[in-house]
Amino acid sequence: MTWPALILILIWLVTFVAGQLFFKRAMELLGPSGVRNRKTMSILGAGIFSMTISFFLNLGLLQRFDLSYLYPFQGLSVIIITVAAAVVLHEKLTLRLTIGAILITLGVALVSTT
Amino acid sequence: MTGSHMRNRPSGFFNPWFQLTLNVLGVVTYELLLKAGATDTARFSEAWAWTGITGLASPLTWLAMGLMMLDLVIWLYVLKHIPLSIAFPLSRLVDVLVPIACWIILKEGISPLRWCGIALVIIGLAIVAKPAARLGERL
Repeated sequence: MTWPALILILIWLVTFVAGQLFFKRAMELLGPSGVRNRKTMSILGAGIFSMTISFFLNLGLLQRFDLSYLYPFQGLSVIIITVAAAVVLHEKLTLRLTIGAILITLGVALVSTT
Repeated sequence: MTGSHMRNRPSGFFNPWFQLTLNVLGVVTYELLLKAGATDTARFSEAWAWTGITGLASPLTWLAMGLMMLDLVIWLYVLKHIPLSIAFPLSRLVDVLVPIACWIILKEGISPLRWCGIALVIIGLAIVAKPAARLGERL
């Protein structure tokens, strides 16, 4: 793997994780009545923007690498998002949840082996 | 995690856990469509291929994108009701279903190491599902 590919994979991962965090934050702000306000909509917009970049990078990477090759990086997003949700969104992170997320990450990496 | 809006939890079709399952099935379908679309268009313009924009030349990519939009709405609905740190790991059920779908439908082989990976993901999912079940009771 060349370093530009690694950078693209890294940007893909970062935009994907950021997108998920934006989405969750926007849905938190949406509240019970589903009232729309400018702040909620901007965060949702940021999430969609972030996810769009991630989508096209993913497509570009898929053209050059096998899906199975990109899977371990996708797996990495599990543990990153779980920890990020705890740190950024203050979600409750139990030891059990962490172990589960790590096992899923390792499992996804193994699934990609050929 | 225990917002008051969760008291009136939607049931039946609008149950968040059912919607999460729908979301996963949608992702499995569009991942396969995206791969097919990307493969179809890989031979086009070398200069632009890195952006992935050439993938738009395939109708399969557009079908996948339509499904992604629908899936996004479902996912946002799921996130409204379930914490991200639980919903996201559970959504990786995709990584179990894709290889198994390929094994059953496409008769592709699965190596022992890959079976181990599938087993690990399933164990991980079961571990995450426990707090999720407790959350379900509280909802």
